[in-house]
Amino acid sequence: MTIGTVQETAAEGRPAAKASPWSSRWHRVLRVAALEETWTKATAPTALIVAFVVFSLVAPNFATWHNVNAMLADAAIPVLLAVGMTFAVMLAGIDLSMAATLALASVVFGLGYQAEWGLPVSCLLAVGVGVLVGAANGFFVGRVRIPDMIVTLGTMGVVMGIGLVASRGIPMPIADATLRIIARDSLGPFRWNFVIVLGIGVVLHVVLTHTAIGTHLLAVGDSMDASKAMGIRVPRVKLVGYMIGGALAGISAIFLILYVGSTQPAVNTDYVMKAVAATVLGGTSLFGGRATVWGPMLGAVLLTVVQTGLTMVGVEAFFEPAVVGVIVLAAATLMRGRK
Amino acid sequence: MASAAEHKIEAVDLTKSFGNVEALKSASLYARPGEVTAIVGDNGAGKSTLIKCLSGYHAPDDGRILVDGKPVHFGSPLDARRTGIETVYQDLALADQLTVWQNIFLNRELTRGLGPLRFTRRAAMRRQAHDLVSGLAVNVPSVTSTVKRLSGGQRQAVAISRAVMWSNQFVIMDEPTAALGLRETAQVEELIRRIVGDGTSVLIISHNFEQVMRLSQQVWVMRAGRVVSGARTADVTGAELVAQVTGANSFG
Repeated sequence: MTIGTVQETAAEGRPAAKASPWSSRWHRVLRVAALEETWTKATAPTALIVAFVVFSLVAPNFATWHNVNAMLADAAIPVLLAVGMTFAVMLAGIDLSMAATLALASVVFGLGYQAEWGLPVSCLLAVGVGVLVGAANGFFVGRVRIPDMIVTLGTMGVVMGIGLVASRGIPMPIADATLRIIARDSLGPFRWNFVIVLGIGVVLHVVLTHTAIGTHLLAVGDSMDASKAMGIRVPRVKLVGYMIGGALAGISAIFLILYVGSTQPAVNTDYVMKAVAATVLGGTSLFGGRATVWGPMLGAVLLTVVQTGLTMVGVEAFFEPAVVGVIVLAAATLMRGRK
Repeated sequence: MASAAEHKIEAVDLTKSFGNVEALKSASLYARPGEVTAIVGDNGAGKSTLIKCLSGYHAPDDGRILVDGKPVHFGSPLDARRTGIETVYQDLALADQLTVWQNIFLNRELTRGLGPLRFTRRAAMRRQAHDLVSGLAVNVPSVTSTVKRLSGGQRQAVAISRAVMWSNQFVIMDEPTAALGLRETAQVEELIRRIVGDGTSVLIISHNFEQVMRLSQQVWVMRAGRVVSGARTADVTGAELVAQVTGANSFG
């Protein structure tokens, strides 16, 4: 019975494919183009190209290699935070504590550096703080089952407070030769910080698409019931997702330090909004279960390009939060209901 | 009852309470190998609780479960699965935004490598899923499409294929055609016949008496937490089944 069916299917499928390989390929292209998944995925790249072309036309110095390279380097922190946020959003959650985590990680980095434990240990401390905060988020969201907004709002407060107490709110200058190289020098055509961020993105892309935990993150975000029925340990998967987000906030702290040359105990909440904006622009479903790593990376680059472009055509920096906010709302509206 | 070895699975005096509600009161039934065994009964008769005991989802308060004549204890659905019992849940337990092949291999991914460097074998999973689905569920277009793009019947076919992929022994299905139209119901029934033809035993809950008559060889009637009667399907009529379920009379 089974064998008969296989032959039937094969007999139906093959001659058609042989007779007109062109038309079948063309059909497939059309079919893919008609999918809303394709459109969601195309949002960030398309908008990036459009924004780039528009600003190149209106701002004379925009389309120079120097400016492009500078924008890519500026995008390092937004890109890292966007990718981290994506790991919470793909679980149908959100991580509001990322900016606070970043601040605390930078403070702890400073303490380690001040104690002369060296750069590698200080970096590990920063990432460790991020992972720890992420683990706390993941524990309360996954194991205690408190809504993600409340959990990360709470940890945001706690983490912000610890950072302020530990630093007395005072930034600490960090002058490190290696960090200066990463901030200013280039590997081939690209600045070091962009290259490192790209590397982190590639690693996380592989985690998401080529490991079991990557599939489980998406499955849990898509349907907790289905995941449970298939024996996936949902709390553990959520823990991993939030820990990855926390780790990226910790790494962002290192990039902020090498970017501005000092620790930053004050929390910049714009980072959270920008990360959410980039995540949505990158085609991540706010209902969970659908995400890529490269989409939000492009989304964050897009935001940086828009921000730089607006500055270059003479728009005041004060408009920036409003612009990002409008982009969040517009992107979320475009993607509404797309589960 | 006949000797245990004749039965693929046997439930003996299963009792299960949720608080004050006695969902199962000493329910007993069996399923013979290579057959479709149907459970019918009104809402709240305890059908779902019974199969959830058999699939390891609930632990019965009392009673025994025998698989191939041997007593088993399931602490979780994973235990049941290791014994060769797969369940197609009523809600199918599919992740809509994942592809068909990702769903088929969900939490049983094929991997290579060691420790943290353990990567999924995407091509191999895709190929195996394709071989499985193209042989069984002829109505499913492609294993690379996401589940949300499939119709109800196609989803059902994917869920059943997944169950069969991991156990050719025993598959439990909770109302597999409840949400389907006529044509899709026919397709799913054809699929069930096919897997039974390949030697899998199937236990099915159904509200559709005609379907029970068409598909099953053995039928059990549940009422108020008990299995009140059982018969070879060939020996009963649809009208008798309806009377049974409503409590009008018994097979005698």
